[in-house]
Amino acid sequence: MLKKRLIFTILLQNKKIVLSRNFKLQSVGYIDWVIENFNIDSLFNSIDELVILNMNRSDDDFSIFCQQVANFSKNCFMPISAGGGITSESHATEILNSGADKIVVNSILFENPQLVKALVRKYGSQCIVASIDYKIINNERKVFTKNGTLNTELDLIKVVEGILTLGVGEIYLTSIDKDGTGLGYDIEGIEKVVNMSTIPVIASGGIGKIEQFSEGIIATNVDGVSTANLFNFVGDALFDAREHLIEKGIDIAIWKKIHNSNSNA
Amino acid sequence: MKVGIINYGMGNLFSVKSALNFLKYDNEYVNKPKDLIKYSKIILPGVGSFNQAINNLNNLGWSNEIKEMTEVKQIPILGICLGMQLMAEIGKEDGEANGLGLIKGLIDKFSIEDKSLKIPHIGFNRVNFKENDILFKNLNNSHADFYFVHSFRLKKVDNDIITSECFYGEQFVSSFNKGNVFGTQFHPEKSQGNGLVVLKNFINF
Repeated sequence: MLKKRLIFTILLQNKKIVLSRNFKLQSVGYIDWVIENFNIDSLFNSIDELVILNMNRSDDDFSIFCQQVANFSKNCFMPISAGGGITSESHATEILNSGADKIVVNSILFENPQLVKALVRKYGSQCIVASIDYKIINNERKVFTKNGTLNTELDLIKVVEGILTLGVGEIYLTSIDKDGTGLGYDIEGIEKVVNMSTIPVIASGGIGKIEQFSEGIIATNVDGVSTANLFNFVGDALFDAREHLIEKGIDIAIWKKIHNSNSNA
Repeated sequence: MKVGIINYGMGNLFSVKSALNFLKYDNEYVNKPKDLIKYSKIILPGVGSFNQAINNLNNLGWSNEIKEMTEVKQIPILGICLGMQLMAEIGKEDGEANGLGLIKGLIDKFSIEDKSLKIPHIGFNRVNFKENDILFKNLNNSHADFYFVHSFRLKKVDNDIITSECFYGEQFVSSFNKGNVFGTQFHPEKSQGNGLVVLKNFINF
């Protein structure tokens, strides 16, 4: 049977890695510096999938982003999803040529669903990840776009229903309220989406400690659990998170560690 | 010793190259069929539709050259995912088409009754090894987890070339080996340490 997935999300702004709290960004440092100081190799060893999101919104920066995706993918032997600011087929192609396996789309889900359908036709549904950001307003989950700045005033469940008709392969679901808080996932929201979705769902936003991954999976049966919280998962913390998931009886993949050792024959 | 990665316009060559670079094996993209002769190991990757892929191989002159290299010159070849499927006789994706025919077999869509199992089959899944296969050497177990992305799988293959099987609503062939011809339905270049072991085993074959 298919395994659950432990996912790390890297947020990039130009050549810097950033952190997000309620979608407000804070710089951690230049990518090379972070890679050196945060034991990123161990992190890459411990995850089933890497998501890389472009926090820039100017077209000029898109190629820089793709270059960074390519750099990461050289040392990543797991699937990579990348996106942020994809508004054309050529963006999608550029990201895939940079070593990404899947592309993450957001704004075009609302502004240009025909383009989403075209991307699904060209690359297959497994290649297209729909990223959905939402916030609770007056006790209702409302979907936001434009990096959380624009309230579509659409209900989360209605949006998911619509997105399922586009043929995308999975949903990357982020609670803006929980994002970066460390308070744990929005279990109720995730559960609602998982229960109605015919495609895999990845939960994001709120993880601060390793127990919250298994809590999310056990409570909602979500397919993937992600965090972008670099500070809390520095060093071997995600490796520990993997061990913890296994201890909790959650079926995740097991493999030999690869980095930090001489891998040549 | 140099590994050639066949570039025929289908899918993610970059990650195969990255994995070989990481393992410090000399490798190059091969852009012209006539250049295949320079390589002592060949990898046929691929993501996309069988029909389009075999058309590319035929129209660009790859098919004959691959057969010459593998059947006559006996150069080891590894097909990955779609690359593995193309080695079979017939594919049914986007209409029926003939494959390279390096092995017997038919590529057909999953027909799974359990509606809770989504197609494509995507993610890490357990691969059960048949016996002491070359590709799974040093994995020290009867099974290991590998990453899959596919909607079609190999059927009607000779039993004795099957080296592993995987379960997804049904048992299907996850790898085979016939002499110098190897195929994996999973992506070794995307299967963390387990996959790198498989690539290393192929290169050292």
